[in-house]
Amino acid sequence: MSSIATGVRAGSGQTYRRLSRFVGGVPRSVVLAGGVLLALVVVAIAADLLRPIDETRVDLDSILLAPSGQHLMGTDEVGRDLLTRVIHGARVSLTIGFFGALLAAAVGGAIGLLAGTLGGRADTALMRVTDAAASQSHFFFVLLIAVLFRPALGGSGAVMFAVGLTHWPSLARIVRGELLSVRERPFVAAAIGGGAGRARLARRHYVPHLLPAIGLAFVLTIPHAIYHEAALSFLGVGLEPHKASLGNLLADSQQALLIGGWWVSLFPGLMLVVAAMTIGTLAEYGRERLHPRWRSELEL
Amino acid sequence: MTGLLEVEDLSVGFRTERGVVQALSEANLTVAAGDLLLVVGESGSGKTVLAHSLLSLLPRNVNVTGYVRLRGQDLLGLSPRELRHVRSRRMALIPQSPASSLNPVRKLGGQLLEAARARGLSEPAARARLAELLCELGLDFEFVGGRYIHQLSGGMQQRIVNAMALVGEPDVVIADEPTSGLDTALVDTTAAQLLSISARGAALLVITHDLRLAERLGGRLALLYASRIVEIGPTKLFFKAPSHPYGRELLRALPEREGKSIPGLSPELTALPGHCAFADRCPDSFDRCVESLPDLYPVRDGVAARCFVHAER
Repeated sequence: MSSIATGVRAGSGQTYRRLSRFVGGVPRSVVLAGGVLLALVVVAIAADLLRPIDETRVDLDSILLAPSGQHLMGTDEVGRDLLTRVIHGARVSLTIGFFGALLAAAVGGAIGLLAGTLGGRADTALMRVTDAAASQSHFFFVLLIAVLFRPALGGSGAVMFAVGLTHWPSLARIVRGELLSVRERPFVAAAIGGGAGRARLARRHYVPHLLPAIGLAFVLTIPHAIYHEAALSFLGVGLEPHKASLGNLLADSQQALLIGGWWVSLFPGLMLVVAAMTIGTLAEYGRERLHPRWRSELEL
Repeated sequence: MTGLLEVEDLSVGFRTERGVVQALSEANLTVAAGDLLLVVGESGSGKTVLAHSLLSLLPRNVNVTGYVRLRGQDLLGLSPRELRHVRSRRMALIPQSPASSLNPVRKLGGQLLEAARARGLSEPAARARLAELLCELGLDFEFVGGRYIHQLSGGMQQRIVNAMALVGEPDVVIADEPTSGLDTALVDTTAAQLLSISARGAALLVITHDLRLAERLGGRLALLYASRIVEIGPTKLFFKAPSHPYGRELLRALPEREGKSIPGLSPELTALPGHCAFADRCPDSFDRCVESLPDLYPVRDGVAARCFVHAER
């Protein structure tokens, strides 16, 4: 092999590739993920404007139609327009994902902060509770909470509640761990030496350090919440059956799949994967960006 | 003589699993306004503990006895609130390594302003004061304010923490190892900056093991060995003719002098001897040195040394 020649070719090729891999300093995959997610969110918010068909409208004359110009994603077993249902499903799933993860972040953040600030026995007690919660298969608890709270909170409320109450342990651990390490940093000692009290330390030094971790853990929990909604609805203990969530759509698609209606499960499934993947990609990128040392190096 | 800052019989011990680590024993110091006092000693001799005990920055497992007075006010019995007041307005600590002493995730402008505001300045006054102070130190507030600490050079970082310490016009400034990890050129710059702090009228305490920095700074010097002050006096006299054998051996160990290190090790702080701690390394030791503990005996021109040689005279 002529290594020099390949080296030169690879060199210019690499430069080109390196340039095209970034758009305005951001990796292409992240721009793509961001764009797709933004489009998803816009579509979800403007669902009624974009597709002014009632997503629950049954049309028995157009049962299980394959994708066509009129029904871009086809129709389901009772003739409902699948595109409309997927759009509405995405809206429901994203909402549940967002608020479920928010609840998890709030619970985990509060427990982690408490444990980290109080220290001593309170810390030990809180962390043992966290360990206990994390040691069990959390899907069992998701199921249990969803079933228990369904009558009181309704389907979507119960799913959010179930996700929030089961996904906090890792967040609590992250927050507590970060807090413990921040407290030992020299700049905290220096701030105390400069006369900072507890409130100022928390506000000026602890929280700015914890926010990226909390925010990131929150975003990373969103896909979990979306998956759990899908799983619960699939099992019939999630959203009410007539509501178009991605999970319900997938649950409904089983029968259709057996008689050849592949589109009924493909499109909701794709939507689920795309939503989870884009959020995951953005969160991963955010982890790098939010680290100020890395960020400033990108700027310089 | 009553000084601005008085340290009387200050002893600090850490309770550990291996017993009490006696980090500082019966230290006595007086610093007047505008004074420059160097606290010199090797690692583990108690320098930093002395600095931190002045500001009550020691961990919880600590036994402190003695007195620290600032303008006559006892600092060791202060409430947390009073302590914060002293730390933010009256006594400032320039921390050991500037790069890690500032919050890496916040821009410097906010942190500088916060320090100035904590010293009781209003927002506009704080801005004006910082701009002026940084200008004197050769920095532009707008420029450094928009940056993170790691984006500045070592020398600039040092000036930032100096500015933070000076912004409240404190009575006493304590610099903890200001030259650790700096190259010779930066040591020169730091020395010049420290002297300019001293020239502002604040009492300056410099904790260092850097004898070359000490020689450059002048003022008075307190030499610590195994938790005790073994020699105290004008820095010039110390470098010309140290009065304690440890000081003499220490200077001899400098590469530009003889480069001959002192044989043996300094004693464990958990088991300090009841006699002179330097006795078993001292070339001049005699019977009395291993029998009892010497006092600080006056030698000449304000010099005192903890050595029986001077008791004999």
